[in-house]
Amino acid sequence: MSHKMQTNKLEKHYWIWPIAWYLFLGGLGGGMLFTIGIIEMVFHAGYLLALGVLVAVACLGIGSMLLIFELGQPKVFLRVFLSATAIIKWGACLLILAMGFGFVYFLFYLPPSWNLFWYSWTWLRDLCAVCMALFGLCVVVYTGVLLSTMKAKPFWNTPALPVLFVASALSTATAALSLLAGFWPSADAIIALFAEQADAETVVSSYLPLLTHEIVAILHQYDTMLVVAEFIILLLYVLTMRASGNVTAKAVALEWISGGKALLFWVGMVACGLVIPFLLYQTGGTGAEYVAPVLVLAAGLLLRFLVVYSDRRRAMPGEERFYSRLPQGDERFLQGWKPPY
Amino acid sequence: MTRYAMVLDKRRCIGCQSCTVACRTWNELPMDIIYNPVVTEGVLGEFPYVHQTFTPLLCMHCDNPPCTICCPCKASQQDDDGIVWVEATKCMGCKVCVNSCPYGARDVNGAEGFVRKCTFCKDRVRENEQPYCVATCHQKARTFGDLDDPESDVSKLVNSLVTERIFVELGTDPQVYYIPDLGGAK
Repeated sequence: MSHKMQTNKLEKHYWIWPIAWYLFLGGLGGGMLFTIGIIEMVFHAGYLLALGVLVAVACLGIGSMLLIFELGQPKVFLRVFLSATAIIKWGACLLILAMGFGFVYFLFYLPPSWNLFWYSWTWLRDLCAVCMALFGLCVVVYTGVLLSTMKAKPFWNTPALPVLFVASALSTATAALSLLAGFWPSADAIIALFAEQADAETVVSSYLPLLTHEIVAILHQYDTMLVVAEFIILLLYVLTMRASGNVTAKAVALEWISGGKALLFWVGMVACGLVIPFLLYQTGGTGAEYVAPVLVLAAGLLLRFLVVYSDRRRAMPGEERFYSRLPQGDERFLQGWKPPY
Repeated sequence: MTRYAMVLDKRRCIGCQSCTVACRTWNELPMDIIYNPVVTEGVLGEFPYVHQTFTPLLCMHCDNPPCTICCPCKASQQDDDGIVWVEATKCMGCKVCVNSCPYGARDVNGAEGFVRKCTFCKDRVRENEQPYCVATCHQKARTFGDLDDPESDVSKLVNSLVTERIFVELGTDPQVYYIPDLGGAK
């Protein structure tokens, strides 16, 4: 029998940091799979970002682990598949599909010297690219839809939340990919492409930096657009909530704009997470290459934390007063008192 | 068909919280969980015509419960008689139903990690007894019964008096009816 005191259930956070981290990692991993899949299909340059696939699958895996450990009864997590309709069940299936296709796609970028028999099945690689892009995007959308279906939470229960999460997830994914482009196993993949040439090694050493530079420039441009889009969506979201007719949504929005979360929102999210990366992408150099993507990634995580901790439930008449008058300071007495049974 | 519902007469409730204590006893609730708090509004009105109103809250056993469709384990479920309940042996504690309930009727049993909520005292009702909060209420402010039976007390109250429900606009179709403290015949 627990002896915790009554707490204000309007402000109680049932979902805490593991969910915020999961929403970030799920968005990041799904967004990376989506972006790599698109780049593979459009530019046929997936080999430059092959490490990104591995990182994306790892992100989704860590996110799923966090989801499981966050459960009240982690040992029975397989019960998630019992229902046919629940949105969490769909999320679990999409996570597994995205991770599966991503992993199979990565199998084509193992060292060419291993001569694995599936290396020649390019159709399978392309199919996996299409599927991982599709399911990656589904995971990204799902992270927002999960929260926006909660009727009890006025700040979440809006179709704008998935839009905001998609913009943020694609932006963080692009930033992460621009950091990971060109690393192992890209060189090996290019050597395999030019295998018939005798001087494959020198071709790689001259081509890889150029190609990496190209793809990173494209990703920076793409991320600049996404940062602008996210900036607009975020401001619209918070200001629309500020003007909302719902008292609770308005109170939470005011907390973001001028209350307890204002410093994190304006300085952390808007200034350091959106405006400074945008300016750095314009100036180029080391700032655009390393600082801006890291800031974008940090802002993505901060956004998930801000949203997850904005889960105020709308009050029924008289409920606010009830919780404001709960006894304070009796915790020691109640915990010290052990019942005879 | 049976459709269990509860009518709460705010004209009769004096805010003594006997139902809160009774519920906690019958259901052996941990310290941090209350199924049915009684909240107070007021002082309302202008002197000398002032009054306070007490609202006993509980699970609304909605006809369209948002907490059952979102459950991935089919633990949060609704019986044919309208009672919404959580099967603890199926629950994995993902808390999605806790977050989706607009009435805050659910909470997590901290030690065991499953979600629990008001069940209209399912165990008592199936043996043709009243829920414990109803049996305890000495003001007769709580009435429980079958809404589909035209002869039942709840049908007569809902059909003859002005009643209101909480958050109808969310589309949950709650089945707990409140008779306003200044209410009367339809």
